[in-house]
Amino acid sequence: MFYRLIQFVSLGALSVLLVAPTPAQNSSVVPRTPDGHPDLQGTWTNATITPLERPAALAGKTTLTDAEAHELETKSANELAEYDGKSEGPLLTATGSAGTGGYNALFLDRGSEFARVDGVKRTSLIIDPPDGKVPRLSAETDRRLIASYTGGSFNSVKDRPLSERCIIGFGSTSGPPMLPVLYNNNYQIVQTPDHVLILVEMVHDARIVRLNAKHAPPDVRQWLGDSVGHWEGDTLVVDTTNFTDKTRFRGSTENLHVVERFTRTDAGTILYRATIEDPAAFARPWTIEYPFLATPGPIYEYACHEGNYALTDILGGARKKEAEERR
Amino acid sequence: MKTKSFAVMACASLILAAPAWAHHAFAAEFDAKRPVHLVGVVSKVELINPHAWIHVDVTGPDGKVTSWMVEAGSPNVLLRRGFTKTTVAPGTPVVVDGYQSKDGSLRANGKDITLPDGKKLFLGSSGTGAPYDQKK
Repeated sequence: MFYRLIQFVSLGALSVLLVAPTPAQNSSVVPRTPDGHPDLQGTWTNATITPLERPAALAGKTTLTDAEAHELETKSANELAEYDGKSEGPLLTATGSAGTGGYNALFLDRGSEFARVDGVKRTSLIIDPPDGKVPRLSAETDRRLIASYTGGSFNSVKDRPLSERCIIGFGSTSGPPMLPVLYNNNYQIVQTPDHVLILVEMVHDARIVRLNAKHAPPDVRQWLGDSVGHWEGDTLVVDTTNFTDKTRFRGSTENLHVVERFTRTDAGTILYRATIEDPAAFARPWTIEYPFLATPGPIYEYACHEGNYALTDILGGARKKEAEERR
Repeated sequence: MKTKSFAVMACASLILAAPAWAHHAFAAEFDAKRPVHLVGVVSKVELINPHAWIHVDVTGPDGKVTSWMVEAGSPNVLLRRGFTKTTVAPGTPVVVDGYQSKDGSLRANGKDITLPDGKKLFLGSSGTGAPYDQKK
């Protein structure tokens, strides 16, 4: 009964398509660059309420019918409204609010629908392992994961998580692998025959993918790793290594290896798939899949350092506490 | 009914399963033991990342004015929803409920911001009245 609105920008002209929520679109409308490759350029969003890992309540259920999805999407929206403006609630607890309030719902833009692939809605971004869970290696990697979000000590700016320092977006927004988060799930892709650039709105991260190139030497380490790519038919394959030992994607090490696949399945969709590998962090390689949907531009500026009073307050709060304890 | 049993099966909170984590943990910056209730006038709105800040001048019983800064979320979402820094114009009376920063400076997070007509600013996920929501 209901339709999904997909908007897309094509060569400066704004077009609006109404498409039925079921089967995947015919690929005949996929735009191409002059060199014949699919044109991935435009502004995209990966906002979705499909979680990375399948919730326990949906164990064993990989997809949802549209009726089931609608029911849960409504429930999710109602929960958000119910806890809005309160000091406590599941979302605030998850964002480390601990009784201090936090974001109101108006500041959140995490999508309102489950991710749809091949015409059906998915209950987790993880498609392998089949249980939809990150194949955890040990309690130690879990501890590293938690530490990477909450940070260890408050002695120095350098002790704080990278996102708090405005170095990379939180929750692996920039990736790789790129994951949807609470807000600012917007991306712009620019493409030439030699490079693909992915501009991430959150913290203004820019991923530069060099096509048909070799990886940088092993001693070159970057926050977002070193990405090289090539075309396999109509799919852009991006291979990323050379991460820093501080990037820590869900407890990963500097040896994290991510292979991403971008396939423009129709005018309004890029199907994104990423396989994540790090024997020191995960029991086995694992794969996520979800669509990037075309969205009206533009990408907004995110001058994170300029407005980062939070970091000053966080370190200042720790100094104040120390002074009180000395008294 | 099939849908009923499905709803029961999936009754756990979906928000819990949501991609969570924010720019920073609020509990590290603000003090849950220092709730503030500010009655004042908006002096400036800064739509800056990673957090928007709303400046509020509060006149005390002695007539002395103190300037508070109230932290809000990322402004990019607001801009997409049609809010700009003039949506809440300087001079607008507001009531802010929130929590003061741990370092004791005059900064707070804004749990609730209430306008003169009783409307809660930045509240209401289902129908904020913003262009973004009307589009859906």
